[in-house]
Amino acid sequence: MDVRGRRRPGQAGEQQGEDCPPKSPLAALLEVDDLHVSYGRIRAVQGVSLTVPDAAVVALIGANGAGKSTLLRAISGIVRPHRGAVRYLGEDLVGLPVHRIVRRRVIHVPEGRGMLARMTVLENLRLGGFALKGAGDGEPDLERVFALFPVLRERRGQLAGSLSGGEQQILAIARAMMARPRLLMLDEPSLGLAPLLVRDIFQIIPRLTAEGTAVLLVEQNARMALQCAAYAYVLQTGRVVLSGRAADLLAAPEVQHAYLGAG
Amino acid sequence: MEFLAFLVVDGVLAGAIYALVALAFVVVYKASRMINFAVGDWMMLGSRMVASGIHGVGLGLGGALAFGCVGMVAVAMAFDRVVLRRLFSRSLLTLIMVTIGLGIFMRGSAALVFAGLPGGIARPLPLDPLVIVGVPVAVEKLVAAAIAGACIGALSWFFHGSRTGLALRAIASDQQVAMAVGIDLHRHFAIAWGLVGVLSVLSGTLWSFVAGGGFGIELLGLKVFPIVIVGGLDSFPGSIIGAFIVGILESLTAGYVDPLVGGGFSHVASYLVLMAALFVRPYGLFGRPDIVRV
Repeated sequence: MDVRGRRRPGQAGEQQGEDCPPKSPLAALLEVDDLHVSYGRIRAVQGVSLTVPDAAVVALIGANGAGKSTLLRAISGIVRPHRGAVRYLGEDLVGLPVHRIVRRRVIHVPEGRGMLARMTVLENLRLGGFALKGAGDGEPDLERVFALFPVLRERRGQLAGSLSGGEQQILAIARAMMARPRLLMLDEPSLGLAPLLVRDIFQIIPRLTAEGTAVLLVEQNARMALQCAAYAYVLQTGRVVLSGRAADLLAAPEVQHAYLGAG
Repeated sequence: MEFLAFLVVDGVLAGAIYALVALAFVVVYKASRMINFAVGDWMMLGSRMVASGIHGVGLGLGGALAFGCVGMVAVAMAFDRVVLRRLFSRSLLTLIMVTIGLGIFMRGSAALVFAGLPGGIARPLPLDPLVIVGVPVAVEKLVAAAIAGACIGALSWFFHGSRTGLALRAIASDQQVAMAVGIDLHRHFAIAWGLVGVLSVLSGTLWSFVAGGGFGIELLGLKVFPIVIVGGLDSFPGSIIGAFIVGILESLTAGYVDPLVGGGFSHVASYLVLMAALFVRPYGLFGRPDIVRV
């Protein structure tokens, strides 16, 4: 377990090399390197480095205000880091406008779902595929999403704002899938949902990776997140304090104590 | 009875042009929450460009309309590039003040640029009114209303049937989300302003047909406020209906009340309705109050 922070697993000199995402540069889809983000004088992210391998689930856990959401916002270009790099398929995304990052199929489902409440479910889904230029009308993608989430087919003519919280979360993920994400970033997908719905939402994630999508998952529900992830990072006040295989973190006493509610 | 019918028809025909003006306003409001206080100046500039296409360049009406559209879209693009993009993150109030500034600039520079060019646009239509079921209908108003109706139809197809329209509606709904699905905000703001340019040319020209050209046209822009307040600032159908309400109201008060009070009341009536609407339904007849599901 790397408890020193500020180190990316897989870097030379680490002892637990096998615990960490593969080192091969081909396998790393996303590499965040020494990222610093500030809001005015508040330093929300202070030198975070992490790696998301291709088609893997990586969980980001930590308390409120640890900088998890900020990190996602920096990767998707909504906020601009003042230091560090976000390398995606070898290209630095820092400084690119949001819509260009989306076109590279890095899709961010923000906390609070980001529904277009006054547009229909179908319109929300069609907008999900907006960035795919020359992809036709997105009809096959739509069929795929409807097959996965039949409830959306039933409700396609309804205004998104009239859906229940769980349905809105499903729509948010479905809309992201319309963009055929290579990297999907989910911010608190379980927030405010009933436990059964949370289970449903989490069951979607393995299907995504099976289709070749990597998932970077921010969750307060640490147990759920660690159970479905391959690798995980623990953030505390803007720094990585722990990282490694999700299964190992799940068993680690410090994680159990601080995040899993075990005595 | 015949007089009433005449007034209503006249009001509806004027309302169709008002609707076009209101749409030019709502397009920008929906996309960027910007209130364009200078709609009237845009119309004025649009119709002056068409007029100069006819009198200065010697084009026919069709050519002059195209000339006007190209010119106004160029103005819109320049405004977007040079002014709006720089002010992107500023407060809405700043942006609104900028529209007023642009309006004054347009008025001032139009007087210079178009000095010596007549502002009127000749109507390619007969002057004698048609009589339909005993009600006299001015041909130019009828044609203007028909063209306005066609434009409204085209615009509504554009917003609901095209990819760009879908993106514009998404921006209107939530800019952050629109960005997150990969919509280039700046590009679409520019498109919205380009639409304002085209709508200004069309409505300015139609208004010149009906009321004669010249600089009085910018007052038309002020009528947009009762219309959109009554109809709802963010509702296309609402603003169209609001336009008809204001058109008919003006026509009726001009016919029945003006002779009694010695004239002028018809110009005030719609603003009285505006104030009443603000008291009763500040979000307009068809606008929606912001409801949020938690």
